[in-house]
Amino acid sequence: MNQLPDDARDETSGIIKIIGIGQSLRGDDAAGLAAVRFWQERYQANIERPYLQVELAELPGIGLLNLLIGTSIAILVDAVHSNSKPGTIHLLSNDQLEAFTGGAGSAHGWGVAETLSLGEKLMPSSMPEKIILIGIEAGNLSLGESLSPQVELALPEVARLIEQLANRV
Amino acid sequence: MNQDIHIPALARVEGEGALTIRLKDGAINEILLNIYEPPRFFEGFLHGRFFQDVPDITARICGICPVAYQMSSVQALEAAMQVTISPEVRQLRQLLYCAEYIESHALHIYFLQAPDLVNQESALSLAAEAPELVKQGLRLKKIGNDLLKTIGGRSVHPVNTCVGGFYRWPDEQAIHGLVPELEWARQASIDTVKWAATLNYPDFEQDYEFVALNRIDDYAIYDGYILSSNGKRITPQEFEQHYRETHVERSNALHSHTADNGTYFVGPLARLNLNYKKLRQIAKETAREIGLKIPLRNPYKGLLARAIELVHTCDLAIELANAYHPQGPSHVEFDIQPGEGCGVSEAPRGLLYHRYIVDEQGMIRFARITPPTAQNFAQMEADLWALAPSVINQPQEEASLSFEHLLRSYDPCISCATHFLKLHIDAA
Repeated sequence: MNQLPDDARDETSGIIKIIGIGQSLRGDDAAGLAAVRFWQERYQANIERPYLQVELAELPGIGLLNLLIGTSIAILVDAVHSNSKPGTIHLLSNDQLEAFTGGAGSAHGWGVAETLSLGEKLMPSSMPEKIILIGIEAGNLSLGESLSPQVELALPEVARLIEQLANRV
Repeated sequence: MNQDIHIPALARVEGEGALTIRLKDGAINEILLNIYEPPRFFEGFLHGRFFQDVPDITARICGICPVAYQMSSVQALEAAMQVTISPEVRQLRQLLYCAEYIESHALHIYFLQAPDLVNQESALSLAAEAPELVKQGLRLKKIGNDLLKTIGGRSVHPVNTCVGGFYRWPDEQAIHGLVPELEWARQASIDTVKWAATLNYPDFEQDYEFVALNRIDDYAIYDGYILSSNGKRITPQEFEQHYRETHVERSNALHSHTADNGTYFVGPLARLNLNYKKLRQIAKETAREIGLKIPLRNPYKGLLARAIELVHTCDLAIELANAYHPQGPSHVEFDIQPGEGCGVSEAPRGLLYHRYIVDEQGMIRFARITPPTAQNFAQMEADLWALAPSVINQPQEEASLSFEHLLRSYDPCISCATHFLKLHIDAA
């Protein structure tokens, strides 16, 4: 779908999309990507679920909107920073969006929160009915490919949560 | 303004940066552009890696211009190992580069710089005021990302590019299927130029040394010689003799100067000024229609230059997509051999230089990456000094915004920033 429709939802309704977001070279910033991969290996292999779509989006910026169009439910899995203990799992839905503040921590000036607000403003009827964010509290954000142990330990629980959300429909 | 200005995190720039301006006795005493970019990390990170991993690793430096990093790195490695690519591969790489220009320019024009020029705080407030305009930007960006995905397999970090060509040819029908949207994009780009011409650009002109790639036969983006507005034209191999990087204590990023310690300016203004005659006909006609006078010496008009380049790249993409009929192998077979090579291409933000040394096993022994924003830092600081006298008498907040607007006009890519969400959690 190349155009950006803002009319009623079409036949793609019913799609649940799981979107991992993160910078894979900045330590725990990759937590969302790692969690979605973990879930894929543990739960997704060998199961036929055509209504499920998975995206490892790395740094989608404003392109996140294109990933959301045409889905009914979007599950975003991303690293967050809220001064909790590293590895803490936060579960937020779109009506809790005020809890997000973008800005400084957000590369390319477009964080997830701003992008979702833009989508709500420009094409509200094309946005998913429900957006759920699974936030994983990041600890180490220095350059490098490895996750900190606390975040690593949280991955099975995040994967379980993704699976639970994916099956709820 | 009567107090120091400190902007701890610049908004709407690619990544992380801070600006501090200190006053003394009512005059500006110090301007510090602090950038947290870690280019040396990537160079160290590549050390000891297999050469074929380099395009995909360097692509991760930036979510906006991954193709540029791939294009400069594969050309450097192909030069190091004396690999010659086929004309079909070269054309597909050009098409891939068009995709990146479309998505990156659309992002900067509509979402990063335009709000400054129409007195909006952000694209969000612009979207409330002019939703159709922002939607147009969004659709343009999406077309770029769709083309990127069709060629590179993914819409953000493409993974199909390899030393010697592409891992596999993208589907012919899928590429041709994008032509109608690209045709829409070309018209939308022409409209973008006309709209950009009506914007109110701050009155600020400087006498810059512009540096950009240059070719005799076309508007150089993928490869070429390095041309300066002072007339000097050098080969990519001579780059480091003429343009030098120095470390600046306050910044993680290196700052570049010319060999005689001057500042220089890379990016869309440089390309447009130096290569205007090589633009495709339709882009030139559009420029003529709005009465564009070359050279442009106002950095804020980078937006206008990007808009004209959008017309050019959409038109080029249509031609390349229509002509795409893959035949033969998608990459050449070659023997690994030790060597050294450099590669230069025009990232959307300007000249991007890579140099590598490869050993007998194909392992990287040395890497140098000189990104466009690092080359522009010194010029950005010089511009902040030049702007200061006209800003110092403005109210504090207005002065702060004026400096930010100038920096954003450069579309600085302070790469490899973290992107995590900041969560504010109420105790309740």
